[in-house]
Amino acid sequence: MEPNTLGRLKHFLSHDSERGLLKNTTIVIVSLVVFILAWWGLSSLLHSAFFPSPYEVGVAFVDAFQNPDPTTGVTMWQHMSQSLVRFLWGFAIAFVLALPLGLLMGFSKVADTFGRTIVEIFRPIPPIAWAPFFFIVAGVFWGPIMPVFLGVFFPVLSNVIFGVKSVDPLLLDVAKTQGASKPTLFRKVILPSTIPYLMTGIRIGLGIGWMCIVAAEMIVAQGGGVGLYISQMSLVGKYDYMFAGMVVIAILGILTTELSGYIERRVSRRMGMK
Amino acid sequence: MDGEFVCVLGPSGCGKTTLLRIIAGLEEPTGGTILLNNKEITGPGSDRGMVFQEFGLFPWRTVRKNIEFGLEIRKVEKEERRKISDKYIDLVGLKGFENSHPYELSGGMKQRVGIARALANDPEILLMDEPFGALDAQTRNLMQKELLRIWSEMKKTVVFITHSVDEAVFVADRVVVMSARPGNIRYVFNVEWERPRDRASVEFASLRKKILAELEKETVASH
Repeated sequence: MEPNTLGRLKHFLSHDSERGLLKNTTIVIVSLVVFILAWWGLSSLLHSAFFPSPYEVGVAFVDAFQNPDPTTGVTMWQHMSQSLVRFLWGFAIAFVLALPLGLLMGFSKVADTFGRTIVEIFRPIPPIAWAPFFFIVAGVFWGPIMPVFLGVFFPVLSNVIFGVKSVDPLLLDVAKTQGASKPTLFRKVILPSTIPYLMTGIRIGLGIGWMCIVAAEMIVAQGGGVGLYISQMSLVGKYDYMFAGMVVIAILGILTTELSGYIERRVSRRMGMK
Repeated sequence: MDGEFVCVLGPSGCGKTTLLRIIAGLEEPTGGTILLNNKEITGPGSDRGMVFQEFGLFPWRTVRKNIEFGLEIRKVEKEERRKISDKYIDLVGLKGFENSHPYELSGGMKQRVGIARALANDPEILLMDEPFGALDAQTRNLMQKELLRIWSEMKKTVVFITHSVDEAVFVADRVVVMSARPGNIRYVFNVEWERPRDRASVEFASLRKKILAELEKETVASH
């Protein structure tokens, strides 16, 4: 294809996607407005303390960030950073273990069969079901981290295994005819081919991990955490603050998903897998 | 013979590709040995460059980085690598696309990268497994001419596998026809005409007819 034809095609595509984006944004805004109106209508209809209006939740939301709440003694910023620290720990441990294990299981039939048997025993148990156990054996700091670890570990592991098995045999042949040794095949062909799969595993793991941290904190956390905050607010009957905590989780969850989706797309593009 | 262009033709399933893969060292022969410059082939190596039908470009590498793959493996210095890749990018006519990724290229351009990558290791022999089989007819004809131009500049021995008698007669010094299972060499045609050859000429048509007749016997025999 002539370069200028390619350029024109690119321009056409980007123009087209701009128009699509505009249309999408409009629909998203309309959908948000409908949601808030429905919430408002329902809460004023029910007129219940358990179900505050968006306005009341908004006020509580702002207040939670500005003033430490009397029950836990800290602001929402600290709850968020607590949750985030736990989340990152769980994520980091899962990543560090799942990546090499996934590569090994992708390579070796023996390791795969051996590992898969154990994985399949653990997989059906929801990570959060482990929370009480981890709380007892690992304490208040590591306890809530372990469900995150499990939530991230399995999706990363299975995607990496799948990635290694999906390496194009043609690319391996090419590399061999170019004189590649086994370690070189691994480093220059298998590893880069696996990266987009790894990113998919990370994206899925982030979503599950985030749900795990909040749920685990509701069960066992101490000192702070958004999950803890929600359960505390419900116990003392401050339902507007409880909902504010849920809004915080929703916002953080959306940000995490968007960010990881963005990184995944960037990486896939960089790896030439559009 | 050094610098010769050999085409291998044969009914499907006769083992043309297997033969090439054995020469490349990707598969082991069930019997016998293959010698390259009196040395037995025991595994793949950069002294044999291979071009694949489905291109096999590394999608995460740019055109330049694809071509430099083998040089990188052999730890050639960066400046030297760049000099060599520049030379082959120029040779295959991809100037201006050095930093493009494979998904941005057409089929013909992809195979140009494939050829440049195989040549960049300066191999003794160039193995081509139906290299233009995935291209449309027009691009295919163009690429045949391009390959002949590149070959006349490089003077490498080429072993070229194809299904197309027309393609074989157009490019080869020698056309080897293999028989159906078990695949043996059945017939060798020497094509000693000047290049570029005229597909419309009478002699071209008559040689094509002769080879087709040989192939047909094989195809019938194999059914």
